[in-house]
Amino acid sequence: MTIASAVGELAPAPRPAPTPGRVWDIVLRARELGILVVIFAVFGGTTIYNSSFASSASVQQLLAGASIYALLGVGETIVIITRNVDLSVGSVLGLSAYVVGEVFLHNPNFPVPLAFLVGIGVGVVCGVVNGAIVAVARVPSLVVTLGTLYLIRGVDALVVNGVQIDPSSIPGGFIGVGVNNILGVPWIFVITAVVVLVVGYAMRTFRSNRDLYAIGSNPAAAELAGVPVRKRVFWAFVFSGAIAGLGGALWLAQFATVASTAGSGYELIVVSGVVVGGVAIFGGSGTVLGAALGPLLLNTINQALVAARISAFWNQAIAGGLLIAAIAFDRFVSLRRERNLRLRRAARGA
Amino acid sequence: MDGIESEQVVAADAQASGGGGAGSRTPLLELRKMSKQFGPVQALSEIDLKVYPGEVTAVVGDNGAGKSVTLKTISGIHPPDGGEILWQGKPVHIRTPKDASALGIETVYQDLALCGNLDVVQNMFLGRERTRNHLLDENSMESAAAATLSSLSVTTLRSVRQSVASLSGGQRQAVAVAKAVMWNSKLVIMDEPTAALGVAQTAMVLELTRRLASRGLGVIFVSHNFNDVFEVADQIAVLYLGRLVASLPAKGLDRQVVVDYVTSGASSRNGSQLAHADGA
Repeated sequence: MTIASAVGELAPAPRPAPTPGRVWDIVLRARELGILVVIFAVFGGTTIYNSSFASSASVQQLLAGASIYALLGVGETIVIITRNVDLSVGSVLGLSAYVVGEVFLHNPNFPVPLAFLVGIGVGVVCGVVNGAIVAVARVPSLVVTLGTLYLIRGVDALVVNGVQIDPSSIPGGFIGVGVNNILGVPWIFVITAVVVLVVGYAMRTFRSNRDLYAIGSNPAAAELAGVPVRKRVFWAFVFSGAIAGLGGALWLAQFATVASTAGSGYELIVVSGVVVGGVAIFGGSGTVLGAALGPLLLNTINQALVAARISAFWNQAIAGGLLIAAIAFDRFVSLRRERNLRLRRAARGA
Repeated sequence: MDGIESEQVVAADAQASGGGGAGSRTPLLELRKMSKQFGPVQALSEIDLKVYPGEVTAVVGDNGAGKSVTLKTISGIHPPDGGEILWQGKPVHIRTPKDASALGIETVYQDLALCGNLDVVQNMFLGRERTRNHLLDENSMESAAAATLSSLSVTTLRSVRQSVASLSGGQRQAVAVAKAVMWNSKLVIMDEPTAALGVAQTAMVLELTRRLASRGLGVIFVSHNFNDVFEVADQIAVLYLGRLVASLPAKGLDRQVVVDYVTSGASSRNGSQLAHADGA
């Protein structure tokens, strides 16, 4: 045991007192808190400029507008955490919205809860296709879902075949879910919030979901530890598909009309929202709550620009800037961590 | 078994009982004529190796000598295609890493196989998380991880809830070793555990290795570094081009003899008669 005494690494480390640097570290880590602060800052600033921004109608519009993006973000996050990506969510949403619309067109009295299940079912089928190709055939998900993005959109166009679903064929009870409020909060936002809370809780407390983080962090290590990598990745895609399917049904409830272009371009908005929300694009980290807050922030900025009468052209530039800022921020945090590590090692005199 | 080989076994046994701390002389793990082929390449031919509890058995050899294949065979990544593996005297089949774990064999891989984004507890329980009512039992896992780390006198971690990415190389190695011993393992295989470490951290890992052996575990220590090997090993096995050419007690062994075996597969110096595997 003579070596032990000579080695600093084995000596009990004194618990470091919280210094300003450490407090800063904690703030940096709580990404969700930071996004909330920015959302409120943008909201507060815009309200000073234009007081009608804080009116309940405006806030309801803000929440309802962000809900579907935030919802898709939940499914996308599960996939991105496993170091994959699902680019087909917009197309799945479009197909699901159209199929649910078709169902109502032919059965005007179709039960509303079942209609949502139909939407989810369409999403599950698409998710199974994505998941099977990625997990079984081991094709990179970027390529697979880029393919299914176009494939599903094509199927959608074939099914739609120029027929547009219009509000007159959708039952009022179904549209109510998309446009009505409960206690002043849009139903669609409540549904999204429930999904975020349930999935967020499940990600923290279930064993199988811990595996998702391990797979994204170090796939080889996960495999060695006996994690069923393919199975988990497969189910992540099925889940993302199911969420996109639910999103399609909600989209129909919200807009009451579908054409074959419904949801196109959503995938990039969702992925950037999720990354802004602190989900690392290379997998292994991030939370569902952050993923939902990212799109909410983007939508708040979007609406703020309108309220401040700034040209909508700025909107995309700002969204892009935020995305780059988010990635730069992650890099900054990891560089800071590495530097701290070096300093600690140097201080120990190793 | 021909005559020369049985002589070698006897010699190795005699030496082990002289230097080792184990009372019983049944090897924890014994490889008999174990072979492994990859296509046309004979990676291992008829390896005979004995690993005793409470001892550190170093496996040395040049690049391509078969060190990695040997340990991957034992840990179930590349099942052998010839020969026998005996575990505590009984023949066993190790076909997957799970089979190895079930016997009590844990491997600390060279690249450590840790997940940087996960914290220390999450890594130590990766793939074997404890649950209560189907939910992750974080408290019980946290205290078990902390207890294992402190039983190994690893006390420099600020918190077991730190992410592994924020740990130093030595601390990561310590976490990987703690992960290996937490499962009531009987044999710990360490693949180049000091390869990426500085002087102080290397000393820590060697100390940790000795501590495993003093707890009665068998340790297989694969390394390039002769300083490290002579520091920790009780027994030194030398691989040369896929063959086990020597198995020598480390105590009082001339380092140059090991160098000879590693570089040419034979040695004409003192001590070489102890363990010639065959006429090659």
